[in-house]
Amino acid sequence: MREGLNRWADPPLLVLASLAEESKHGYAITQDIADTMGIRLSAGTLYAAISRLEARGLIEPLESDDRRRPYRLTAAGARELAEQSERMHQVASVAQQRLRVNYGWAGA
Amino acid sequence: MSARQPRQAWEARVLARAALGLYPPAWRARYGDEVRALLEDSGSGVRAAASLAWHAVPVWACPPRHLYDRRGRMRASLASVGMAWALLAGLVAVFVQLAQAQRQVQASTLAQHPVITWSYWAFDACLIVSLLAVAAGGVPLWLVMFRRARRARRRRVVACLLVPAVVPAAYLMVSVAVFALVRGPGRPVVPWESRSVVDLANGGVGPRWFLALVVLGLAAAAVSAAGPGLALRRLSPHGPVLVLAARAAFLAAVTMGLAGAASVVAAVGLYLWAPAYAGYHVTWPLAVYLPAVLLAAAVAVVSAARGIRAADPPAVA
Repeated sequence: MREGLNRWADPPLLVLASLAEESKHGYAITQDIADTMGIRLSAGTLYAAISRLEARGLIEPLESDDRRRPYRLTAAGARELAEQSERMHQVASVAQQRLRVNYGWAGA
Repeated sequence: MSARQPRQAWEARVLARAALGLYPPAWRARYGDEVRALLEDSGSGVRAAASLAWHAVPVWACPPRHLYDRRGRMRASLASVGMAWALLAGLVAVFVQLAQAQRQVQASTLAQHPVITWSYWAFDACLIVSLLAVAAGGVPLWLVMFRRARRARRRRVVACLLVPAVVPAAYLMVSVAVFALVRGPGRPVVPWESRSVVDLANGGVGPRWFLALVVLGLAAAAVSAAGPGLALRRLSPHGPVLVLAARAAFLAAVTMGLAGAASVVAAVGLYLWAPAYAGYHVTWPLAVYLPAVLLAAAVAVVSAARGIRAADPPAVA
């Protein structure tokens, strides 16, 4: 059940959010997501997300002499992240308002 | 840190790298180094290995568009179809020897059941179309590769390309020598004695020599197909000739598969309706032939379908 409600933790979205800060390589992305969002992505999950995002042109790899190739957000990726964030924000606002009114929730 | 920990870490790393091996070559070539670097940085564990293995499944089922190498797919499909087709050809040659070529044990059977007769006709027709398709698609590609290999003086590749001519010829010579040396008068077919068709239809060399020749023939077929497959990898041909070969391979695989299916119907028909003395009521030849033909046909048709999908990709909406 919890899995079904966990759409906010969709790995591609987490990767986009991480790359919105600056370009990062795989390990830096997992560290950033773990530190800021409390979710630890495994190697398989991370690279499944990276390959999907790259195929859709939402992120792009940067040149690197190292095996640790960094990725950056493309303009299309930034638009997609903005749309998703807006939708999440709307849902969060409605939910918080109703919790406040009906359940006396004072906020986190 | 206990003494077991370094060993566990080493095992986890090996597991994770093995899991990475489950990915398609194009994916490994693109992300393999990065994933290995990530595993080194993060200290890979069993969880990383399991996650990598799990995510390999959708990558095979639906390869990422930006990694889809049409030409590479066509070449890989051609190599697989070539191998499966050659093995099918070897198997149906055994069927021909044991069934169609046996006039003595077949005469009454053929006249008695139309299913067997129709199966033989379908088998012959499919086999002819399949051979024509191989010639139409394979010869132009072979010529292009042969010219390129000769011009570049790549002797090993030239040798690989000559394998489909040399190996079957060598096999035929060995077979003729075996027949000349060990052929006996053959056992008479008598209505009161129930024996296997291999006992009766081995061409007079006896069942052991016959089975040895069958195994050698299948090995020769596999080697004959492996030669051009290796040349395809080394030369990486492309262009219309590759597309033509992929389309012809599809036709060749489907018709050879149908020929195999027709031979299976005929073999089952013979098992059910042939007279007892013909030797077709013994189960083991059928139990070996049936799954072998179905497996080779399935591999040939699936590989050919992947090849033709790469040759004629569906339009992206």
